Order: sequence, then structure tokens, then C-alpha cells
Amino acid sequence: MKRLAAVAALLGLAAVTACSAGNGNSSSSGGGLYTTIDALKPGLDVNAPINPYNPKGNAFRGYNSMWLGWTKNHMTDPNQFYPGIAESWEIAPDQSSITIKLQPNNKWSDGKPVTAEDVKVSIGLAYTQGGTAYALDPKAAGAASDIQVIDDKTIKITQAADNPSVTFVRGIMETIIVPEHIWGGLLPADFWDKVKTARTDGPAAEAARKAITDLAPKVLAFAPKEDVSAGPFKLERMNPGEALLVKNKNFYNAAKVAPDQVKILNYNGNEQIWSYLTAGKLDSAPFTAVPADVMKRIAATPGNGVVRGYSPVGNSLAFNQSKKPYDNVHVRRGLAHLINRDQVTKVASPEGGTASATTSGMHQRPAAEWLGAAALKSLEPYKGGVAKADEEFKKAGLKKVDGKWALADGKPWKLTINVPASFSDWLAGAKSVTSQLNDAGVSAEVVTTADYPLYLEELAAGKYDVGMWLVALGPAPYNIYQRLYGTSNGWQLLAGKLKHVPAGKEGNWMGGPETIEVDGEKVDPGELTHKLNSVTGDEQKKIIAKLAKAANQDLPVIQLWDYVNTQFINTNRFTGFPENDSDLLRLTSGVWIQLGLIKKK
Amino acid sequence: MTVIARRLAGHLARGLVMVLVVTSISFVIIRNIPGDPIAARYEKLIEQGMSPEQAERATAVLYGFMPKGNLWQQYLDYMSGLFRLDLGESLMTPGAQVTDVLFEATKWTVLPVLVGTLLSFLIGIMMGVYAAIKRSGRLGDILAVSGSLLHGIPQYVLALLLGALFTTLIPILPSGGTADIMFEPGFNLGYIGSLIEHAALPVLTYALASYGGWILAMKSSVVTVLGDDFILAAELRGMKRSIVFRYIARNAILPLFTILALSLGLLFGGAIFIERIFNYPGLGLMLIDSITNRDFALMGGAFLLITIAIIVANIVADMLYTVIDPRVRSGEEAGR
Repeated sequence: MKRLAAVAALLGLAAVTACSAGNGNSSSSGGGLYTTIDALKPGLDVNAPINPYNPKGNAFRGYNSMWLGWTKNHMTDPNQFYPGIAESWEIAPDQSSITIKLQPNNKWSDGKPVTAEDVKVSIGLAYTQGGTAYALDPKAAGAASDIQVIDDKTIKITQAADNPSVTFVRGIMETIIVPEHIWGGLLPADFWDKVKTARTDGPAAEAARKAITDLAPKVLAFAPKEDVSAGPFKLERMNPGEALLVKNKNFYNAAKVAPDQVKILNYNGNEQIWSYLTAGKLDSAPFTAVPADVMKRIAATPGNGVVRGYSPVGNSLAFNQSKKPYDNVHVRRGLAHLINRDQVTKVASPEGGTASATTSGMHQRPAAEWLGAAALKSLEPYKGGVAKADEEFKKAGLKKVDGKWALADGKPWKLTINVPASFSDWLAGAKSVTSQLNDAGVSAEVVTTADYPLYLEELAAGKYDVGMWLVALGPAPYNIYQRLYGTSNGWQLLAGKLKHVPAGKEGNWMGGPETIEVDGEKVDPGELTHKLNSVTGDEQKKIIAKLAKAANQDLPVIQLWDYVNTQFINTNRFTGFPENDSDLLRLTSGVWIQLGLIKKK
Repeated sequence: MTVIARRLAGHLARGLVMVLVVTSISFVIIRNIPGDPIAARYEKLIEQGMSPEQAERATAVLYGFMPKGNLWQQYLDYMSGLFRLDLGESLMTPGAQVTDVLFEATKWTVLPVLVGTLLSFLIGIMMGVYAAIKRSGRLGDILAVSGSLLHGIPQYVLALLLGALFTTLIPILPSGGTADIMFEPGFNLGYIGSLIEHAALPVLTYALASYGGWILAMKSSVVTVLGDDFILAAELRGMKRSIVFRYIARNAILPLFTILALSLGLLFGGAIFIERIFNYPGLGLMLIDSITNRDFALMGGAFLLITIAIIVANIVADMLYTVIDPRVRSGEEAGR
């Protein structure tokens, strides 16, 4: 009898399993189910609140979390956006203010209209979290000084006149918008008076700033009972492996939103994304590093396709110039001549990268836009090979002993590249570099660090001679050059004033000099970078040209490869995906859907 | 007070001291793990396409959730919280209580590991008895070899093989998650079926990985018991074969119960590789994430849970032995 019961139970389980396997997606209706992953949310967390300010919050950008506008990431103009909560915007010619008109028919998923008051409360919440446009420090560049609700659908934000910045508009347009009727209670009644006081000087201002920033943890932990979204979808439910979002019928562009439901799958590592892609489960997946063999498998799945576009990120070999012999520019130049970047890229990132043409601090594509073809060509390409490298090493005083390069005092020289063990492309790239250097008589080795947090801590503490470092983080020019001439190289912005701290102090691990000579002229690259925040037009171009030359001649880093934004799509269920090189590729697929691009097949 | 109750009280007191000692040691170790989790998060966000300002904004507030004060102060805060059953807040999910995060992850580990372990235990001991009795036959050899083979394959290799087989070559099982979100959670056929479907691969891996150990241990135990005088006496007295078989099984299984109880304690540690490979969001996966993100509070909570589970399992194993083996009980009573 017991045996019979056991057999019956097993049969029951088998039947249930079979039943579930057949009905997996049965609940999706007409518009269909769109399946994707959110690269910004690895490791879905059911305990996290539906809160866009929370790093793990279950608010998915472009789906149930909205910004005023979606940044196009234009190569030279950071102030271009697609409409979001804002239907249109008017920027004053000197960027001193921005007047935003909200989408006239947009409603929250609970039926209440989206108003300028919602935007104002959202700005208040952004003040508690800090950030460029909402800095409380009166000397901070590009901060808002006045927020004025003009009418129900119009709001004007004015920039503080004493320290204007070109980052202001972008800072405003990237404001996360949440409903006032849910979140408003987090701001005390005298909040706006406090903001006004905080943007002055003195003890009262200090107290006001503290009172506002003290609200940050409360905002971060706030957990609305249910999702109230102004985006195309609202969160219906989730488990640790998946999140289900359903269409928000009140969304202003709901008629053009094709899918009825969106399923966001959890991932903790690239292998899981590869597995989903190989199984043809994902309608789209954002940039993922993929080895060549996996790429072949993914491509072989029916319906799968690849879209490629510009990615404003590059990878480089960065030097700690406070260590010998890397303080000598000729050593850095010699190494640059020796490294075959095409070879490195082929090994490290064949699908997701293109070899850097040279070191300019910028990705090759915006470099061409900013500098022009002639100026770009005038930069040293560092392709001289062994002959040029020997020349540079000799200038640096290095000696060749038994076929190996040694330091000026005859002591052996070993170049050690540190990389985090978990970054397979960096590791492969570093190994390719050391192999090339060893062949050319430079003793070189790769040392791995257990994980990324440890790598960054040790890098910042100046423990490494040479490490991998992300550069060219555009599109805003200031963002690009602050990776070379920012905190990590000694320049710090405190209370609106720029200062240079000595090597090895306060995160200055690059240890470069405060001034360098570019074409016979002494320049302070940190100061020039800082200026990029406040100048526009020709002046901006001139500074960029100078910085590109500085980076090219002084080589605080050797750029190895530019990342390519390689994304995956599957056209079995939906069509209308952005094409190669579309600026939409830098935005989430939620934005593609809400703009009405994605169509049901 | 009975012998068992006194014994239990002694175990609990020692267990409590052990928990405090282990918690203190793990606290010091955890707080001294090098690495800057917030800088790592900042760099990750930038790599994913966030502008430096956005990334700064998204990470700056996290500093408020980092432990404050010197190590002693942090230790006192942590221990006083512990006595109030407050393990603090997660760093990577600000606002989420560590106890809630642990509870959520624990349920996804305990059920599959428990099912897998019990399944392998039941099949393993049955096959072990059979392999011992038929040890000179071909089937006995096959069973013993299968046990040695499966015992020798590392769990993660088995997981990779099963994953490749059932999710890529013959894609009949899902490669990750706990259940299809399209099913409304609750006591309905679709949802339960989806749970089973998603747990199938982790359970199968746990079961196959530990089956080898059980069959070998049981076979060896049965072979030892077979040579005992009381079995010979029973056979000479002409007892039924089924009764003799029961004698053998009951005596041979005793040491295995201890191992079972201990392995049930270890299950709280999660099977890190298995959960990682199958993207199954249990304690193992949570532990990896918390270490990668230097989520000190979560790491501390996870280690505490594992410590308590192992200590409790040890106590249970010891008490179980007292209950199921009369020789231990009578020995203790005689010693009084």
C-alpha cells in the first residue's frame, strides 16, 4: 500500500511538471510577452522596495521608472534627449534655465494625472540624494537654484548664476519622477525653506544641509505598498528569479506600447545571460561580454540577431607614476610602441571591442567628431614597434642586460599588471600585453586580485604599478577627461575650488605631475578638465584638443580598446528594434518600447 | 530530570557559547575583509553606461549604510543587535532587514537540498544493503562502482553536466529561477508544477552527488553487521529472511543517521556551486553576492545561520543516537 502511495505521488509530480511545462507562458494575451534582463539590476531582490532610489529597488528604468527625458548620448552634445515624463523642454541660450512641459495626457497607473507637483517633489527627493543639478553646496557647479511650478503641466528650473555648468540640463532631465501622492510625505513641510537656507553660507546653512541629507536613508528605504508608475508598465509581482510587469493603460503613449507584459529575468553572471540567449528566451539583452564560441551558439539560435553601436567606454593600461620607472614618460611611450593593440583586442574582446587607434583620452568616434580628422591624424599613433621602443627606453636611461631591459641603475625591471580575477576580458588582454612585452625583452607578468572591490581599494591605495582602468566615459567631455585628470590623478573639487593633492594621498594613485608640457607649453590638465564643465562651443573644442594632445604625449594611460555596444535581439516575437549605431542602443529596451518602436510580430 | 533532558540542556548551553564564540570570530574576520564595495559599485554603474554624476548619486548615499565607529564599537553594536534578534540592514539593498533577506534565501535552499539529501539517503541505503548482500554478484559490483563514480565527481562538475544535458542538448528543464512568474503564486497546479520543474535540476544534482556516499557507507556498514554473531544466531534459529534483513538494516543504519543529521545541518550553508550554476537564488548564491559586494551585515547573518544550523544538527545527531541506540542510553545510565 505504501509502495502504491509512493508511486502515485511520483506520478502526480510528473503530471504537475508536465502540466507546468506546457503552460509556462499561457497567461500573456494579445500584445504578447516581452522577455529581457535589466543590466542595471543583476540579482533581483524580492526584499527590495519598489523604489528607484534604492540600488536594488524593483523599479526598472524605462519600464516602471521614468525620467523627465532620456539622454541620447550624442557624441558631442550631451543635451539631446528623447521625451520621457517631459513632452518638450526649452533651454535658455546660456543654459541658465530650463522650462519643461509635461506630457499632457500622462497619468499614474492608479489613474491620477502626472503634474508639475510630482516633478517638484521628485526634485526635492533628488536633493536628499545629492548629485550635480541638486547639490546643496552653494559653490557646486551646475546646481539648480530655483524651482518654479508655472502651471499643472509646466515647471521651470533655474541654474545658480555664480557657478554655471553645461552639466545642468542633463542633470535636470535625468531626474527620476515619482508620484507626489505616494512620496510627498517623506519631505517635511519646511523642506523648501531648508533647501534655500542650505544653499547659503554659515552654521544655519550647514544645519539645513545636514537635515536634508539626513533624509537620504529614509528615502532609500521607503517601500510603497504597490507600484504606482507613470511609465509604460507597472510591477505586478516578482520572485527571486523573475519580475512580471504589466502594461500601464494610463501611460501617455499606451496605444503604441506593443507588449502587454514584460518579464525581466534574474542574472548574476554573464553565463546566465548566454544561457538565456542560447535558448532563445530573450527578446533583447543589453551589452554582455561574450566569447567567440558562445557567440556562435547564440547566433545559431533561430531569430537571434546582434545590433552594434557606439559605447562611450574604453579600456586602458594605467600607470602609477609615483613608481619607477613609470614616472618617466619615455618608458610609457616605449611600452605604448611595443603593445600591438589589435592583437590585444583580438584576444581580449573580439566581439565587444575595437582596438584603440591611439591614446587621446577619448573613444575613437567622439575623438574624430571633436578633433576633426586632421587633428586626430596628427596624434602619435604609437605603432613604432621594437625600434621606436628601444629609442624611448634608451632616452629613459634603461639598459639592456642579457637581452632584457633593466633599470638605469642596472637592477632588473619587471612590469606587473594587476587585474581583477573575475574580469575575463581584462585578464586575457593583460596576458596578451605581457606576452608581447616579454617577447620584446621587457619582463612582464600578470597578477590577479581576488575581486573588484579589493582591486579598486588596492589600486586607490597605490599598491599597483600598472593596472587596467576604464577611460573615455562620455559623452560629456568633462566626464571623459576626469578619468585621466580627476581624483585618481590628484585633482579634487572642494567647495567649487580645484586643488591638486600629492601622489599617494586621498585617492591619487596615478601620481602624475600637476603640470605637463604639451608642444612646449605648460598646461594643468586637471584645470583644463574642470573648465570643460563650464565652457561651450569653440572654447570647449580648444580645450579638448589640448587635453587630447596632453594625453597622447604624456600617456598617463595606454588606451587598448574601445568597447562596442553589442546587444542581442530576437525577432521571433517582436520587431522594430533599433538598428546598428542607433543612439537608442544606450537606453533600455523599456525606452524603445515606450517610444513605440517595438512592434508585435 | 531525565538523562536525555540533562544531556540536552548541557548541549544547548555549550551550543550557545559556541555560537557566541564563532559569531565573534567571524565578525572580526568579516570586518577585516579588504575591498571597497561602494567604489566597485560606482565603477560597475559607469561601465553599464551611467554618467559619473548618476553613478555618484546612486552610490554616495550607501556610505550611510556602512558600519561606523571603531571595531569595538561595531562589535558591541552588532552583539547588542543580535540579542534583540536584529541583524541589521543589508548594504546593497538599503532598508531590507538581513533577517528578511536570509529567510527568503533560506527557503530556496532548504527545500531542494532537503529533498535531494533525503532522496539520495533513501535510495543510497536501499542500494547499499542490496550491494552488500549481493556483493559477489554482478549487480552488487555495478552498484558499488556507480557509488564510487558518483562520489568521486565534484558537485559542480555534475551540475554543469546535468545543466548542459537538460537545458541545452535536450532543453526540457529551465536553466534558472524558482518558478515561472506567469503563474500566480499559491496552491495551484501550475505554480506547484513550475516550482518542481525549476527545482528539478538542483535536486537531481544534490541527490546524485550524495547518493554515492550513502551507498558506499551503507554497504560497508552492512558488510560489518553481516559478520556479527547475532545475525548468525538469527539465521541458525531459522528466522525468516525478511526479519533477518530488518535486523541487518536497523543495525547497519545507525552510523548513517549521524552523518544524515550532520549533513542536514550543512545544507544551510547552501550549495554554492550548484546554486550559482543553476541561478537558483538560495543561501549559497546570496552568500557569494554578499561577499562580492562586501555586504558585511548580510555576510554576518549568513555565517550566523550556518553556525547555528551546524551546532543544532550536531545536537540533534547526538540526541538521536541516544534515542535510537539503546546501548548509548544504557551505558550512560550505568555510568551514573
